[in-house]
Amino acid sequence: MSATDTGSSRNALCLECDLSALSFSRSFRSMENLSRWDGTISSSEFRIAATTLSEKWKVINPEFPPWTWIDSPKPFWVTSSKVEGYLSLETYSYKFSSDNVDNTQAHRNLIDTLCGYRSSCQKEEPVDFENEEELVDSATLVLNDDDQEELHHYDFHIVYSNSYRVPVLYFRGYRSDGQILTLDEVERDLPANSLKVLRESKWTFITQEGRLSVRVSRSQALEHPLLNRPWYTLHPCGTSEWMKLLFLGGYSQAKDGSSSGSVMQQYLVSWLSVVGQAVGLNVPLEMISDFHRVCTI
Amino acid sequence: MTSESPNSSRKVVVHLRATGDAPILKQAKFKIAGTDKFAKVIAFLRRQLHRDTLFVYVNSAFSPNPDELVNDLYNNFGFDGKLVVNYACSMAWG
Repeated sequence: MSATDTGSSRNALCLECDLSALSFSRSFRSMENLSRWDGTISSSEFRIAATTLSEKWKVINPEFPPWTWIDSPKPFWVTSSKVEGYLSLETYSYKFSSDNVDNTQAHRNLIDTLCGYRSSCQKEEPVDFENEEELVDSATLVLNDDDQEELHHYDFHIVYSNSYRVPVLYFRGYRSDGQILTLDEVERDLPANSLKVLRESKWTFITQEGRLSVRVSRSQALEHPLLNRPWYTLHPCGTSEWMKLLFLGGYSQAKDGSSSGSVMQQYLVSWLSVVGQAVGLNVPLEMISDFHRVCTI
Repeated sequence: MTSESPNSSRKVVVHLRATGDAPILKQAKFKIAGTDKFAKVIAFLRRQLHRDTLFVYVNSAFSPNPDELVNDLYNNFGFDGKLVVNYACSMAWG
């Protein structure tokens, strides 16, 4: 059976029902191999991890829009049996998320804590360090009165990058009338914590065109690889590095010696726990702890 | 599904573990109130290591939102009486 996955288009069709750990075990036959792992996954592993993410999300996070697998239209001249597609979570609104409203104080506390030593924080109250580089808190100051109540919708797509061999997050925001939001407007919607992650993190930042214009053109959008329309994206150049760290550090002392199969199954959930913070998508703790209780493939 | 702590005022032992080429702390274990947010752990690490950008995550390959309570993290990921928190320094790309 393990020989089947190089196989025919029939196999591609029943990928859904054949989500065994077999294809994982190909690249991760043992935990020793994990230490030599480079943090990347294959597209079929991506597909499997995507199924796990969307199923767990549905169960544990039912009040949120679901992550749905979308098969991307295949050009007729492509005969490959490889399944192409992406995960999609659409029409999310930060205003739906109650913690965004309730946790204003929590975010302030967080900023207080995080700002304990920094000079470039968004901060309104005086603090006991120099604050010369204070940024404008546009979330509260710049909003026009007339669009304060307007609902902004967000679409998130997780697309597999064949060149980096890691998942990449694409997203866009738009008004109820379909008008696309600018990056400034997007930043106003994001929770304070996400803004900090976006602005300070070396791992995740918005960029226009991958390798060529890193960080220079944060305000422009990148073409969605499957839809050919401009979307914002978080640059994947560091992804495999921190994914590797995440799993090596996280698994060497795992309490139950989880197998490599479950390691790869939770790849996308773990990935989203990092990347989601940059765009205000919170991954509930249960989505991970669940793996160690239930998933023992 | 979120497990409620039987005693919300308890202290949680946090074990800070360096990964990658991050410097090792002289004192790697300390106690923190379970009602504190994970942000406090991150801030502590940043102060100790004098690094602006740290990659901080718990065992089980999960990077918690700074808003999560230490109690909740302990209930989900803690074992052997402690919560293991891994940290790595930012790599200089980009």
